[in-house]
Amino acid sequence: MTLLVTGLSHKTAPVALRERLAFPETGQAEALRDLKARGASEALILSTCNRVEVVVTAEEGTDPRGIVTAFLSEQRGVPPWEIEPHLYRYENREAIHHIFRVAASLDSMIVGEPQILGQIKAAYCLARSQGALSGWLESVLTRAFSVAKRVRSETGIGQMAVSVSYAAVELARKIFGSLEASRILLAGAGKMSELAAMHLRRSGGSHVYVANRTFERAVEMAKAFRGAPVEWERLHAVLPEVDILIASTASQEYILGKSDFERVMAARKNRPVFVIDIAVPRNIDPAVNEIEGVFLYDIDDLQQVVETNLRERRKEAERAEMMVAAEVDRALARLRVQQVAPTIVSLQEQLEQIRAAEMERMRRKYGPLTPAQEQAWEALTRGIVNKIAHGPISQLRAHAGRPEEAHVIETIRKVFQLEP
Amino acid sequence: MAEMSLIWLRIATVLYSVGLLHAILTLVRGREQMFRPALGAFGLAAVFHFVSIVERGIASGRCPIGTTFETLSMCAFLVSALFLFIHWRYRAEGLSAFIFPLVFMMALVGSLAGPVGEWSSPEVRNAWLTAHIAMVMLGYAALVFTAAAALLYLAQERDLKRKKQRTLPFRLPPLATLDELISKSMALGFAFITLAIVLGTVWAFVELKTAWLADPKILISFATWGIYLAMVFFRVTAGWRGRKAALLVVVALGCSAVTWVAHARLGSGTPAP
Repeated sequence: MTLLVTGLSHKTAPVALRERLAFPETGQAEALRDLKARGASEALILSTCNRVEVVVTAEEGTDPRGIVTAFLSEQRGVPPWEIEPHLYRYENREAIHHIFRVAASLDSMIVGEPQILGQIKAAYCLARSQGALSGWLESVLTRAFSVAKRVRSETGIGQMAVSVSYAAVELARKIFGSLEASRILLAGAGKMSELAAMHLRRSGGSHVYVANRTFERAVEMAKAFRGAPVEWERLHAVLPEVDILIASTASQEYILGKSDFERVMAARKNRPVFVIDIAVPRNIDPAVNEIEGVFLYDIDDLQQVVETNLRERRKEAERAEMMVAAEVDRALARLRVQQVAPTIVSLQEQLEQIRAAEMERMRRKYGPLTPAQEQAWEALTRGIVNKIAHGPISQLRAHAGRPEEAHVIETIRKVFQLEP
Repeated sequence: MAEMSLIWLRIATVLYSVGLLHAILTLVRGREQMFRPALGAFGLAAVFHFVSIVERGIASGRCPIGTTFETLSMCAFLVSALFLFIHWRYRAEGLSAFIFPLVFMMALVGSLAGPVGEWSSPEVRNAWLTAHIAMVMLGYAALVFTAAAALLYLAQERDLKRKKQRTLPFRLPPLATLDELISKSMALGFAFITLAIVLGTVWAFVELKTAWLADPKILISFATWGIYLAMVFFRVTAGWRGRKAALLVVVALGCSAVTWVAHARLGSGTPAP
C-alpha cells in the first residue's frame, strides 16, 4: 500500500496556476469518484485558495503518481507540462508528515492561521460521504486532526494576532477583557478604520458610533455597523461614553489633544479608554498616551505588535515542528501494526476453527466429558494453538512496515492457507 | 441623665450603621446602592445624636466637649449635620461613601464612654475575641489579595503603555478583570476590617473600661482603618485606578503590618484589629 500526496501551494505555484487547478466545491464529489475509478483505493481532495492537493492510497502494483497526474491534468484541463514544474510529491512517511504539517497550519501562508484545519475537515467529510475513505488514509487524517489540536493547545502558534486589525482587537481585550459592553466610536470613515471596527464589533463590541465631517457618510457607515451616526460637532460630547476610539480622518492637524482627554478621563472616573489612531498624518496628539488610563496606539505601534507576534509565532512553530515529527513516528508505528492486523486476526481465527473442530470430534468419540475433563482439554488445546500462533504473529509484527512486509504476509498466508 | 444621653447616642450609632452598609454595597456593586434608605437613617440618626448631645449638656451643665468621648461625639454630629446641609444644597451623594462610615465609627467610639459590667461568662469573652481575630484575618487576606491584583494591574498597564509585551510564563489578566478583582476584594476587606474594629472596640471597652481609648494599639488600629476608608473613598468617588490605587493599597497593607506588629509587641491581651 502506498500513500501519496500530490499538490501545489502558494510556495510552489503562482496564483494564476492555482486558480486554474482549484476544484470548485460542486465538482469535488464527481472528481473523487473519478479518482477511485482510475484505481486509487482511497482519495481526498483539498482545494483552498492557497493550495490544491490530491491525497491517494493505492495497492501494490498500481502507479499512483501516474493516476494523479493524469487525473489533475484531465479534470482541470491543464496540460501536464504546465503543472509538473510546480508539483510536489510525498510518499508514505513524508506524506504523513506533510499532512500533519498542513493540518497544524505549519505550511500555511500565515503560520498558525486556523482556517486550514476546518478546510481539511470539510474535505474529509466529503470524501467519507463518497465512500472514498476506508482505512489507511482515514486513520492518517483523524490522527492529523488530533495532532493539529495538540499543536494549537500546547504551543502559542495561533494565539497572537498577525494583522493590524486583529492586533487592535487583541489589545482591546487586554484592556476590557470581554468586549461585550464596549462602545466604539469611529472618527472618520477610512477603509482601515472600517476593518478594525468590523473586527471589534464581531468580537462583541456592543455599540458603534460613527462621526464624520460629512454627515451623510457617517449615516451610511453607521448603517453598515447597525450603529448610530454622530454629528462632527458632537464628537467631544460623546467621547466620555466611548471605550474604544478609532481615528482615521484626513485632517492635517490633531483633532484631539491632551486637554480633551483629561476632561474625558475626569468624566469617565478614570475608566480606561483605548485610542487607535490609524490616520497618517496622525489625528491624536501623542502626548495623550501620558494620561493615566488612556492607551494610544498609532499605526506604527500596531504594526510593531504584529511583527513581535510574528516572531513569536515563528518560535512557536519550531516547537510545533518537533511535536509533529514525533507524532509522525507514533502514527507510523500504529499504522504498521494496523496493516498486519488483518493477517494476525485471520490466523487466529483459522487456528481456533481447527481447535474447535478437533474438540468436537473428541467429544463424539469419547462420549460426554465431565466438567473437569472438559476444562483440561480446553486448556491443553488452547495452549498448543497459542504456542503455534506465537511464532508467525511475532514475525508479522517484527516485519511490519519494512520492505519485506508483503513477502512475510504472503508466506504466512500460504503456509496456513488463510483466505486472501 | 448621662446614661440616657448614651442610650440616644447608641440608637444613633445603630442608625448610622445603615450608612456604612450603603458604603460597602456601593463599593462591591460598583454603583450607588440603597442611598435613599441610608440617607433617611442618617438623618434620623442625626436627630437622635442631637438629642443625646443636648441631654449630655443639660446633665453636666456645660458644653459637652470635656472628655475625648464627648469631643468625638460632638465632632461626629457636626460632620453629619454639615453633610446633610451640603447634600441638601449640592446633592453630594459621592461624599457619602466616605462620610457615612466615618461618622458611624466616631459615634461608635463616642457611645462607649460609660463603663458597663463584666463579661457575662469567659466563653462569651473568648467567642467575642475569636470573632474579632477571624474578621481581622479575613480582612488582611482580602487586603493582600487586593495588593496582588493592584500589582498585576500596574504590570499590565505598563506593558500596554510602553507597547511592549514581556515574555511571562503566564498571561496577565485584562485590566477590566483586575479592576473588578481589586474593587471586590477591597470592598470585602473593608467590610471585614470595619467589623473587626467594631468588635475589637467593644471588646476593649468592656475589658479596659474607659481607659481603652488611651491604648496606643487601638489608636494605631483606628489610623489604619482611616487609611482603608480613604482608599475606598478615592476609589468610589474619584475612580482611582492604576498607580494611585496601587500606592494606596500598598500603604494600607504597610499600615496593617505595623498594626499587627504593634499588637504583637504591645499585646497585653488586646488582639489586633
